[in-house]
Amino acid sequence: MRKAIGKDQHMMPAMSAADIAPTPYAWEIRATGLKVRVGRKRMAVDGLDLSLGTGVHGLLGPNGAGKTTLIRALATVLRPAEGTLELLGESAGGTGEHRALRRRIGYLPQEFGYYKRFTVREFVEYMAWLKEVPKADIPGAVQRAVERVGLADRAEERMKALSGGMVRRVGIAQAIVNDPSILLLDEPTAGLDPAQRLRFRELLQELGADTCVVVSTHLVEDVAAACSDVVLFAEGRLVFQGTPDELAAAGGPEHVGDSPLERGYSALLLNPEQTRGTW
Amino acid sequence: MRSVRKAPDEWDEERLVRLVAKGDRAAFDELYRRTAPWMAVRLRRRCADEQIVAEVMQETYLAVWRAAGAFAGASVGGTAVGWLWTIAARRLVDAFRRRAHHAEPPPAAAPADAAPAAEEEALAATVGGDVGDALRHLAPELRQVLQALVLDGLSVRETSVLLGLPEGTVKTRARRARIAMRRALT
Amino acid sequence: MSVEHASTRIIDCYARGLDGTDLTADEVWAVEAHLEACRVCRERLAAAVAVHAPGVAALVGNVWAGLEPRLGAPVARRRYRSVRLSSWLTPAMVPWLGMVVSVALLALLLDLVGGGYGFGSGRVSLVLLLAPVLPVLGVAASWSQGLDPAYELTASVPRAGLQLVLRRTASVLAVVVPALLVGGWATGVPGVTAAQWLLPCLAFTSTTLALGGVVGVTRAAVAVVVVWAGVVVAPTVVASRATFALQTGGLAVWGLVLTLGIGVVIARRGAYSVLGAHR
Repeated sequence: MRKAIGKDQHMMPAMSAADIAPTPYAWEIRATGLKVRVGRKRMAVDGLDLSLGTGVHGLLGPNGAGKTTLIRALATVLRPAEGTLELLGESAGGTGEHRALRRRIGYLPQEFGYYKRFTVREFVEYMAWLKEVPKADIPGAVQRAVERVGLADRAEERMKALSGGMVRRVGIAQAIVNDPSILLLDEPTAGLDPAQRLRFRELLQELGADTCVVVSTHLVEDVAAACSDVVLFAEGRLVFQGTPDELAAAGGPEHVGDSPLERGYSALLLNPEQTRGTW
Repeated sequence: MRSVRKAPDEWDEERLVRLVAKGDRAAFDELYRRTAPWMAVRLRRRCADEQIVAEVMQETYLAVWRAAGAFAGASVGGTAVGWLWTIAARRLVDAFRRRAHHAEPPPAAAPADAAPAAEEEALAATVGGDVGDALRHLAPELRQVLQALVLDGLSVRETSVLLGLPEGTVKTRARRARIAMRRALT
Repeated sequence: MSVEHASTRIIDCYARGLDGTDLTADEVWAVEAHLEACRVCRERLAAAVAVHAPGVAALVGNVWAGLEPRLGAPVARRRYRSVRLSSWLTPAMVPWLGMVVSVALLALLLDLVGGGYGFGSGRVSLVLLLAPVLPVLGVAASWSQGLDPAYELTASVPRAGLQLVLRRTASVLAVVVPALLVGGWATGVPGVTAAQWLLPCLAFTSTTLALGGVVGVTRAAVAVVVVWAGVVVAPTVVASRATFALQTGGLAVWGLVLTLGIGVVIARRGAYSVLGAHR
């Protein structure tokens, strides 16, 4: 790496024109009228308008509302049936491979499948290779990712020897190994004990400083602590988007819930014909 | 012709890293002795908070101890010391991310008015006379961005976290810096 | 390598940091770039720190004090599987490929012992009969979500798509083709040229891949095996001699199927980077 600025040398090697050109997009994730089909007939995402920028965004909603389908569409693993989806300024529909775009995305699926006989380091290295991290950078990136999730002293253990929470953390490590600009986490706190959830929230805040993080969860307190922005998603559509405080303000004492946020959540999702909470 | 076996304090840093990769504690001690003061001085010029600097240094050397083997093959195209700095710089950025509201980078130092003395010409090999002048006259905030991007090898996103600036501002300043340098050099 | 070193004044000022009289901007830049490369000047800097910057020296000592207890025994890095091997074969593929080789060898053995299937002059080599279907099983094992636990992550990465398809198919063929080669030479049943089993083999592989991109690789494999049973096996069993499909006359058809299959795979190369193909 050339550190000196000689008269004839350019400063190009470290900052190419592309790196410092003005950012061509205002929102990292932008969807208009998005419709995504799951199975043969059902539209799990049915006309969604969403704009997400840097920060941690909590995606809340009832089970079966289509959160996982939405996250899969954001990960370009499902293609939209209708509407537009722009990720980092690039259109993410169509049948293309989106290689350049995917290098800047990190994804942890809800059902995180892994190879039991791999060690933690081997698995994260394999994922780094799959994500086309430059070969020379892979060991450093893997070490950093493993340290950030707190598994540095277990990096040489086989994954089948780890507990459920640790496996989930390996999943988070592989999602951040390529230093993505968009990070999609589907139920990342499943199986984590309260201390680990706390540590995870700190990690989320750290990541949210310069990354667009979307966390799909059904644990409302995760959202309260770590997210700068809450997106309520039900029946395929956007019901609410705002800060956690605004969500809490939407609820009142007559609504079901143990905390202000839960009451706000029930208030916004309550079907007018029902008097009790929804599943 | 076989070379005489060198004493430990004659080994270069690349050799030390390879030995650390094999678990050689003495090599690690020597590596620390040689590089820690330099790293501390360099980090302190980028972060006013001593606690953060201490934390970053601990994390860096711990990472080196634990995973030098994984790295050793990858320090291609650079020196072991340069590679040490890349680890430390990234850890510094991570530390700033954690305390996004608290950490303060040191204020951009005002350029001293001293004219370069004769012996300083010796350094002209790395920064040529005209370039040095241009750098000196560059506005401090532009120079800060340039230093982070070129000298420290950080990306635009990492620079924005380190300096506490929005990404767009970092990019704008980088462009202005480049234009100013080009103008000064023509 | 330049033998110019930094002057003592610069080193001392640099060691003092921002507390003392500072250096000009270009001096700082030059000395930092130089120190990264020059060991002698780093030693001089260490000496200057001890004299002029006791605070920094104390910092260095404190860090060491905190570091030392955490340096446990060196973690033995086990001989690990390199990313290079994982990039060609997933762990799920290995047992299936082993099975494929065993089947091929078994067919070879039966050919050698029994002289091929059939009676009289119309003997058909078992190897020839089995050749088309062996790689189909390997392809199914590479992509099927039932067999590959990490299928969703694999679908979401930049390397998904044509690159990964070619790699995994190449590794399947690299196992199957030599096994069949050995079988073909050793059987010595007259009239079996290499092309006679190679073309059907490749044609079935490309068809499975092409069809897999449309309906999912498991169903495609099943469909292809059914077609094989109908077109190749059944007529042979019924007529007790090699069918038209296996004779040299049928080679043109196989060649056509192969070309079509390859064309479809290339045209729909995005199919393996979404979830649909993994069913």
